[in-house]
Amino acid sequence: MSDVSNTKGTTGGLIWTGTVVAYAAVVLFPIFWMALMMFMPNDAMFARPTVWTFTPTLAHFEYVIEQGFYWNLVTSFLLCLVSTALVVVIGTPAAYAFARFEMKLKDDLFLFILATRMAPPVCLVIPFYFIFAKVGLLDTFAGLTLAYMTFNLSFYVWVLRSFCRDLPVELEEAAALEGWSRAQIFRRVVFPLLRNGIVATAVLCFIFAWNEFLFAFMLGGETVQTLPVSIPKLITSQGVRWGEMAVVGITALLPVLTAVFILQRHIVRGLTLGAVKG
Amino acid sequence: MTTVSDAVPVDMHGALPAPRERFWYPYLLIAPSMITLTVVSLIPFIYTVYLSLHAAKFGRVTEFIGVDNYIQLLTDGRFWNSIGIALVFVGIAVPIEFMLGLAGALVLNQQIRGRSILIPLLFMPTMMAPIVVGLLWKIMLAGSWGFISYNVLERFHLIGQTSVFASPDLALYALIFVDIWQWTPFMMLAFFAGLQALPLGPYRAAAVDGANGVQIFFNITLPMLTPLLVVIGLLRFIDAFKVFDTVFVLTGGGPGIATETPSILANKMTFEFWNIGEASALAVLVWIAFFAFCNIFYQVAKKRLNAF
Repeated sequence: MSDVSNTKGTTGGLIWTGTVVAYAAVVLFPIFWMALMMFMPNDAMFARPTVWTFTPTLAHFEYVIEQGFYWNLVTSFLLCLVSTALVVVIGTPAAYAFARFEMKLKDDLFLFILATRMAPPVCLVIPFYFIFAKVGLLDTFAGLTLAYMTFNLSFYVWVLRSFCRDLPVELEEAAALEGWSRAQIFRRVVFPLLRNGIVATAVLCFIFAWNEFLFAFMLGGETVQTLPVSIPKLITSQGVRWGEMAVVGITALLPVLTAVFILQRHIVRGLTLGAVKG
Repeated sequence: MTTVSDAVPVDMHGALPAPRERFWYPYLLIAPSMITLTVVSLIPFIYTVYLSLHAAKFGRVTEFIGVDNYIQLLTDGRFWNSIGIALVFVGIAVPIEFMLGLAGALVLNQQIRGRSILIPLLFMPTMMAPIVVGLLWKIMLAGSWGFISYNVLERFHLIGQTSVFASPDLALYALIFVDIWQWTPFMMLAFFAGLQALPLGPYRAAAVDGANGVQIFFNITLPMLTPLLVVIGLLRFIDAFKVFDTVFVLTGGGPGIATETPSILANKMTFEFWNIGEASALAVLVWIAFFAFCNIFYQVAKKRLNAF
């Protein structure tokens, strides 16, 4: 930590800390309010002026459970797990190869990966929809898993490569001089050092898949319905079920909250595609 | 928070000297990834180009019509409307996110206690599902009972008992506000990581010379941070053009076409009007624009940040 600070002593530090805490409180207030809404009876929710005290109710939870929203939760979880696992298996060797070997057209291939990551999802959903309709992948688990590869595999290879480049090449050279095979070097030298990078990048992939909406909405929706897709379902003909939406919204938030605490400084590296090492 | 990429010279990461492996070995390692990405990215792109050159209404591809779809798109006022909206959206949201992010990063760089708790919390708006961000602001800005609608907007007579998202004049600015809420934390924490990685030497020299805070910022911090600012700004700029989920939930492009970004328009053309040919033409144009953006980002990041 190279603190470049003009503040001396603790008083200044406390003022700055207070500023940040106040800022966080204001910015995060909508999330807090949505969490309250999970327990708010409808009359309190729609009250003008805003009421702060109310008798908590579990009615929204009951409705959500009755409607079988846990299936959406299970679907989302399985989809994210399977697609992330595939990405790790397929992408790890590629990330390592891009970091360590010279290849023909390496720069072009690498740029192709970045372009895949940056392509707007809406451009992909059009061809996916019609190709999937033809080959029978529409509204299937396999179809969505495949579609998630576009943004997650490209992301994984790109970011894990930056973790690979951080590893000291000398260790591998020493192992090579000892006569270890390439596979042995990877398993015994590279992998243990790379494990944290793999976990961090994989957790980010999981979150991206967890948060994904457009593909899940357009290419899935009936048999394979993820949690984000289930939110618009709560806009019913009898009106919008706000309390239930809050329950589903906060549920969708919990894994993300867990992940940001696990990831800490790796988030910056991930979100800047490795340009900034957090 | 440790180093910016340029701390280590690139040469150290060169090819391994080990001579025994065969030349195809690295290609074998990348093959599964490259094949998968070809299937999920290159083939869909080629298929979109194919669709864009055919008459394809209501999902039925009929005859080859050359560039007719493109001509139709480029003479469509709605297309230019969407481009204009994207430019306003990005042109207002990104600079504000940039300035707020930089200011926030400078504050975070002071002696803050409990950073390891505050930083993940601050990241929440950026990391949560965009669809939930939309839901959150649908609730806060709901007509009449929405917390901010009632307590802020109505109190200052900014709007009546309707949602801002229903106002043709205000809806776009409300979406810009939501984007700023969602993405300022990203800018702030990326810039903060950059600040933490700056070398201390120049600051010690400045302290010896008795420079004040403003001088230090403009003569030391800003110049050293500029490459990072450019790269992050560029990345955010590219991403902001893609905005879809939040707009989809909050306004769906409305009222009318007041918030119809290219992404929303392409989606509507496909799944509402089933005008596949023209939608594909739009997708191809957007795609090509993003290839260009992406190339610029890559070159700039590589040269100025020495990243990648």
